[in-house]
Amino acid sequence: MESKLLTEFYHLDEFRTLDGYKKNGGYAVLKKAFSMQPQQIIDEVKASGLRGRGGAGFPTGMKWGFLPKNNEPRYLLCNADEGEPGTFKDRLMMERAPHQLIEGMIISGYAVGSKKGYIYVRGEYHYPISVLNKALKEAYDAGLLGKNIQGSGVDFDLDVYSGAGAYICGEETGMISSLEGLKGQPKLKPPFPAVQGYLRKPTIVNNVETLAAVVPIIKDGAQAYRKFGTEKSAGTKLFSLSGNVVRPGNYEVNLGLPLKDLIFKLGGGMKPGRKLKAVIPGGSSAPVLTAEEVEKANLDYESIAALGSMLGSGAVIVIDDSQCMVDMLGVLTHFYHHESCGQCTPCREGTGWLNKIVHSILEGRGRLQDIELLIKVADNMKGRTICALSDAAALPVLSFVTKFRDEFEYFVREGHSKVRGVRHAEMHH
Amino acid sequence: MFQLSAEGLAEVKKELKRYEAKESAIIPALYVAQKENKGWINDEVIHHLSQVMEIPEARINEVFKFYTMFNQKPVGKYHVQVCTNISCALNNSRELAGHLCKELKTGYDQITEDGRFTISKVECLGSCGTAPMMQVNDAYYENLTPESAMNILRGMK
Amino acid sequence: MPKCTINGKEVEVKEGTTIIEAMYGEKRDWPNGKVAHYCWHPSLSIAGVCRLCMVEIEGNPRLQIACNTVVTEGMKVTNQSEKVQDAAKWGLDFHLINHPLDCPICDQAGECGLQDQYMEFGKYNPEMAEKKVKKHKVVDLGPTVVLDTERCILCSRCVRFTEEVSKTNELGIFNRGDRSEIGTFDDKPLDNKYSLNTVDICPVGALTSKDFRFRQRVWYLKESDTICNGCSTGCNVKMYYNREGFFRVKPVYNAQVNGDWMCDEGRDVYKFINRENRWLRAKRRLASGWEEMLPGAAAKELSSVVKASGTKTALVLTGQYSVEEYENIISNFVNELKSKNIFHWMNMPEKANDFDGILLRGDKNPNTKGLLSVLQNHGINTKWSDLTAALANGSIETVVVAGPEVQAQFPDMKDKVRELSKAKNLIWFQSCKNADLDALTGNVWLIPMKSYTEKDGTFVNHAGLAQKFKKVTTVVSEALTLLEASELMMGKAISIRPATSPFVEADRQSDRVMLEHRKKNEFIFRRGSL
Repeated sequence: MESKLLTEFYHLDEFRTLDGYKKNGGYAVLKKAFSMQPQQIIDEVKASGLRGRGGAGFPTGMKWGFLPKNNEPRYLLCNADEGEPGTFKDRLMMERAPHQLIEGMIISGYAVGSKKGYIYVRGEYHYPISVLNKALKEAYDAGLLGKNIQGSGVDFDLDVYSGAGAYICGEETGMISSLEGLKGQPKLKPPFPAVQGYLRKPTIVNNVETLAAVVPIIKDGAQAYRKFGTEKSAGTKLFSLSGNVVRPGNYEVNLGLPLKDLIFKLGGGMKPGRKLKAVIPGGSSAPVLTAEEVEKANLDYESIAALGSMLGSGAVIVIDDSQCMVDMLGVLTHFYHHESCGQCTPCREGTGWLNKIVHSILEGRGRLQDIELLIKVADNMKGRTICALSDAAALPVLSFVTKFRDEFEYFVREGHSKVRGVRHAEMHH
Repeated sequence: MFQLSAEGLAEVKKELKRYEAKESAIIPALYVAQKENKGWINDEVIHHLSQVMEIPEARINEVFKFYTMFNQKPVGKYHVQVCTNISCALNNSRELAGHLCKELKTGYDQITEDGRFTISKVECLGSCGTAPMMQVNDAYYENLTPESAMNILRGMK
Repeated sequence: MPKCTINGKEVEVKEGTTIIEAMYGEKRDWPNGKVAHYCWHPSLSIAGVCRLCMVEIEGNPRLQIACNTVVTEGMKVTNQSEKVQDAAKWGLDFHLINHPLDCPICDQAGECGLQDQYMEFGKYNPEMAEKKVKKHKVVDLGPTVVLDTERCILCSRCVRFTEEVSKTNELGIFNRGDRSEIGTFDDKPLDNKYSLNTVDICPVGALTSKDFRFRQRVWYLKESDTICNGCSTGCNVKMYYNREGFFRVKPVYNAQVNGDWMCDEGRDVYKFINRENRWLRAKRRLASGWEEMLPGAAAKELSSVVKASGTKTALVLTGQYSVEEYENIISNFVNELKSKNIFHWMNMPEKANDFDGILLRGDKNPNTKGLLSVLQNHGINTKWSDLTAALANGSIETVVVAGPEVQAQFPDMKDKVRELSKAKNLIWFQSCKNADLDALTGNVWLIPMKSYTEKDGTFVNHAGLAQKFKKVTTVVSEALTLLEASELMMGKAISIRPATSPFVEADRQSDRVMLEHRKKNEFIFRRGSL
């Protein structure tokens, strides 16, 4: 059921080293890539149907195509600021296969005409950063990075930049601001990064998994890649399975796999005596699915979208029937309130407002009109800000409140949780 | 007054030249300074960095206060950060954090009497498949139980 | 030149114009409909953070902000659809949920962007029932400005001002989310020569001027435009005043001269023209001491003095009067007294060409250029040393001085008083009190002048731009303009002005402004009576 296109050798410790990576076929694709024209690589990536694996799912080849067609210096940035709650796949990829990412970046850099790349890693990832730094040194020493890579005439420099704790830096322009030494606040669009990004130069930002996936695409070609996944959601994807499930972890599967197979077959299903209540299919920002909806859901962009949610970063968070949905929403509103960068008013004020309303319900002070108010506030935070954090904060609220309204109404009416029988203060002590 | 050590200063100078924009060195410099200032950053540090880096204080202060990994007040020798975001919360991380506080007779974001620990609740650390978890200084500890977590902390002197 | 339709009206704009600029109009009067906004400011970079200036563009399902959307050919824009108005209503409510309701004690009340725009675009049924975020209040930002971070709506205008205009970088926004606060760094206060512009551009009462706060309610002030007389830049300004005097000066937009800004120094000049600093009566020195006279009578009496000394009369002019006054008094000297002993008193000549790159100039006179051109037209080309020599050898008997209005900018005042008092007769025209003049003995006449806010005229700025200005109001009605004094001194008649007491002249223009202020703030009055 797993489809290990990227993660085939992740169980091998040696795969982390240059020698081990090479032994298992690493850097062979680089030679092939250099024998192709950059445009051929872009066309191949376009044809492969690869979509951004960070969360937005934007077609990668099309994104590359937005770059100006001239010789202006440009940057290739790898977004490794993995912060979407429930997501831990990029960490695995950096820890187990740093050279795969480096190879993917060299090929991508060559394709888009960039001579300089950065891997922006969230600051908490000390260990992945140390693995990457070691791998970068190996690559430089072997002439795989720097000037005239292995006599190809291609130059590409790559460096690692450590963030310092801010979810918003996972938003591509927030990440660019952070890399520029500013607060990690998203930038106004237009101009888009492909036109004016890092230091106002054309910039491509891709997720770790996206850049790594370029390697097999170039290795075997777009058509081979398309054999995995569905017509519109091509390829494989790593899903981070977490929450109330027996075997949480990262699973690389074909896009289109039934969601329940991931949870029940790969993940071992629910703990004894527990029933599935809800699943957040694409990281905490994605609208929650009910157990009935999970039955119908496949792990591809279209199927999840048809259910009104998002495949997002591929973080599947499983919630069983012992959990209080009001409590869980409180966790999420707290998170978005904590992480709003504070730039745009609707998000800055709205995230705090939502969090206060949910917590007043959790403390037994809720009013019946608060439920409608949550919906109104969330509705008016959507689509009104520079970046998607405001929407990300609003969507869980809307989906939790509408799909589990009875739990919210019960909490307001009775002053305690329908599931746990107590108020918030008594729930966790 | 806070002053970077010679090595710290050299590191900051190196970072200043490492990136295309010198402001990019603010985050690395704050890391260096935090390490040399017992794990936190205050106005003296900002003032010193501003002089060393020739960047206005307000700009450095903005960056410092934006990112959660820079501590705005002193922390214990071991900064224990327990993730309480959704995947960990589903696996009782809040109870774990409460347990650690109780055992160590302290509140959140305070320093234990012996100066060894500060317990904080933090947002997702990307360790959701191995929940609950905690980060102690730079290292992750995963798949915890209240007992195993306390055992790990007891081993830290 | 793309053409677009804004609220049904076809508008042609320059390439690269944003929708909000097209709506604001060249005359800044929103000819195509007003749009709510806080962070956008025509003279600052685009922040796009208040999210209020939402507009609907035909063919785009998502609302766009007008400040960051460039007009393209054929674009159809509206901000009058229900969708847009709803977005603005909620946008305003998001601004207000954590904003303190302290309008009754807030200095901004009456000219507050939140009040005004809420009245125009607001939701009117607040639903926030939670506790507001607590932040720092009464933060001393520096010598000129006080900050209330709870009132701040984080539009970032002030931060951008210190980054982009004053380039002093004192301000920043610290922390994130709804904990964000504007502030300065610990040991670096907001202290630059343009700091009070941050108060002007602050749309709410977060930044208030130490000089102005708590001194007047804005609806008790009248306002009128004039030209700043603090230096040769000639910034366009608005004076705010009432019967108690002048209270503040703010810049008025003029793209050619000062843009949207003015310096802090220029905001202080209102102080010296208030009544307590002024000469109210003319004074003549007698052996027994000073004898007070009515200014007009004194000036008339002077005609015998200057006529007696005729060509032996010298005229000393500072660059602080209007072109019209120079023209009159110089003509009178040349034609009536046949004297070309006319001298230019330049204060701080060594700094005359200084410029700080923004607005402040070293020539601290509003009309040096105007004076020089009138002198040139009359073929007068004297040096100060000629006067010094003439005073020494007695070839000058009488000196008439048009003294400075802004004495603080005349460090040589004492020296000049001493030097000029060597003349047999000294006639000194000036608006404000001066101890050195009061200490003089001999034949001395001190005649009170009207200040620049009390007359019409023209100043020519450093670049040769002639700017006409209108009377703001009268402070000392008995005082004379230099023109009136000049005519009376030559024995001519001037039309008699009705004797009026200070500050009661009805200024219809200002009354209308005041009424508008009242109308705008009706709701405050209503709330106040609850």
